[in-house]
Amino acid sequence: MNAFILLAVAESEGQVAQIARTFGVDWSHLIAQIISFAIVCAVLYKFAYRRILAMLELRREQIRQGIANAEKIKAELDKTESQRREVLAEAHAQGVKFIEEARAAAARVQREETQKAIATAEQIMAKAREAAAQDHDRMLAELKREVGNLVVQATTAVTGKILTAEDQRRLAEETSKQIMA
Amino acid sequence: MKITKQAKREAKQLYRLCLVNGLLDENRVRGVVQRVISAGERDCPSILAHFLRLVKLNYAEHTATIESTVPLPLDLRTTVQTELTQRYGPGLTTEFIERTELIGGMRIRVGCDVYDGSVRARLEALAKSF
Repeated sequence: MNAFILLAVAESEGQVAQIARTFGVDWSHLIAQIISFAIVCAVLYKFAYRRILAMLELRREQIRQGIANAEKIKAELDKTESQRREVLAEAHAQGVKFIEEARAAAARVQREETQKAIATAEQIMAKAREAAAQDHDRMLAELKREVGNLVVQATTAVTGKILTAEDQRRLAEETSKQIMA
Repeated sequence: MKITKQAKREAKQLYRLCLVNGLLDENRVRGVVQRVISAGERDCPSILAHFLRLVKLNYAEHTATIESTVPLPLDLRTTVQTELTQRYGPGLTTEFIERTELIGGMRIRVGCDVYDGSVRARLEALAKSF
């Protein structure tokens, strides 16, 4: 290697040597530093850089998995949201249906109860009319009986006094005719 | 008193013996009663009880009770007796009774038959009709 360096140096000694001298380059120091730098680079590459790269790769993988998980979670969330909306819509539809059924049932019950109430009221009215008619008939019969009894009593009290002998004979003859009838 | 069928049958036979032309003969009745009593049989009381019942029925069937408010004129009495005789046959005994509660008219009862033309009966029928 030194031979190549020496050869290169010899070939380009003209301008390079002149530039190196201008900038104060010490070739031995430079080479030593290059060698030491290469050693440092090799050590760093072997013991630090590869681990850092592995760690970076691991981090990158984790980030990629995190992003994938986040996307999956987002998809799941979207799916869940859509399912929630569907469930809500279905629940709303069922709620509306239940409300309609409840309204229909309430209307039907109301109609039935109204009809029952009307029938009951009509029955009560009919019974009341019947009872009133019966009371009227009973009172009329009682009145008729009372008046009749009064008439009979009055007639009983008066008839005996006003009947003449002719009347008595006529009545007796009427009874006598019944025998041969 | 329990009257057996045998006693009823015997009482009925005795009752038939007392009938003359369909009419009850009082002398025969008295004679039958005296003979039954003198015989002193064990069924004597029950026979006489049923015999008495038959005689009472016969008496009721041949007795006309005529009730009126005022005394009936003789011609009307005769008419009534004649009509009753025509209706129920001879041997009918008539009784005339005055009852002011009849108010007016006449009421005749022969056995179970009643001819009621009194004012009281008419008023009672009128009261029942109310």
